Amino acid sequence: MSTDCQKTTAKAIPSTRRVTVNDAEHMPHDYSTTPGGTLFSTTPGGTRIIYDRKFLLDCRRSPVAKTPPRGLPNIPGVTSPPSKDTNEKAHNGELLNNNKITAPDSNNTGDDAQFEMDI
Amino acid sequence: MNNKFDALKDDDSGDHDQDQGSPKDSEKEKTEDEDKEQNTSKKKMVVPGAGEHPLQYNYTFWYSRRTPGRPASTQSYEQNIKQIGSFASVEQFWRFYSHMIRPGDLTGHSDFHLFKEGIKPMWEDDANKMGGKWIIRLRKGLASRCWENLILAMLGEQFMVGEEICGAVVSVRFQEDIISIWNKTASDQATTARIRDTLRRVLNLPPNTIMEYKTHTDSIKYSLGRLPWSGEC
Repeated sequence: MSTDCQKTTAKAIPSTRRVTVNDAEHMPHDYSTTPGGTLFSTTPGGTRIIYDRKFLLDCRRSPVAKTPPRGLPNIPGVTSPPSKDTNEKAHNGELLNNNKITAPDSNNTGDDAQFEMDI
Repeated sequence: MNNKFDALKDDDSGDHDQDQGSPKDSEKEKTEDEDKEQNTSKKKMVVPGAGEHPLQYNYTFWYSRRTPGRPASTQSYEQNIKQIGSFASVEQFWRFYSHMIRPGDLTGHSDFHLFKEGIKPMWEDDANKMGGKWIIRLRKGLASRCWENLILAMLGEQFMVGEEICGAVVSVRFQEDIISIWNKTASDQATTARIRDTLRRVLNLPPNTIMEYKTHTDSIKYSLGRLPWSGEC
């Protein structure tokens, strides 16, 4: 109550983003989403869905992220190994691009919160 | 704002080439049931699966490769570009990405494009025609890592320029590779400066890296100028 209690450091008020809805297409699909894509119904006006690199890389480990997408076109050398050899394997879900790329010099995510939202 | 949807309409108005490679995946079918109230086109957007992490925008992967001996023109470009697929969540992104070869391992004169769904990776698209791109030329061996960092930053909305980003491209060429990121409004200097600074940060570029901004109107002029030489009509 009184002014001499615990002081906290001042922080800038996060900037808001206004979303103009001109078209039904821009409305969210469900009631827990606000226009512009926030996941939180408590932040009208909408926030951006922001993910840092580390979080995105972590999601790669999820089993859902490993199943091959349906309808992936077969482009030899691009979505399947270059013609001739084992075309079959790629279709059975073998990952073409499964090397863990942890670039030692691009550590710009830090150890902070995995998930940030801009309000 | 409207560009995206204009572009979609445009897409439906009989662009046969684009449809060939378009995947008829179950994700798309699913949305048909869920999006019954969505008016517009027959082209349904993908939606995140249950428990997946939604992205701010849906994106589409494209692949193009120049036919040997045939120089680029708008027409042949459009014929050579293939849709790989669209996604709406982080997990769906990884499904595609993990089943695609890394750009550094591509052969020949080829490109991966990752654009917001509804925007074609072409200068002529409504979302692009007033726009431009930042270009970074990379020596061989760096493309795969830089591309991954670039698209993760784009998908994760690290650029903080509102609706301005259109997409990103990695181009594999003979002696070098090029990555670029496209935005809507070439004349918006605050935006282009912010994109440049974000690129420096997320790609960890050395301070002396040369970054070049090119408007698409210039790119068009330049390529038209070359057309008569190319034998393409």
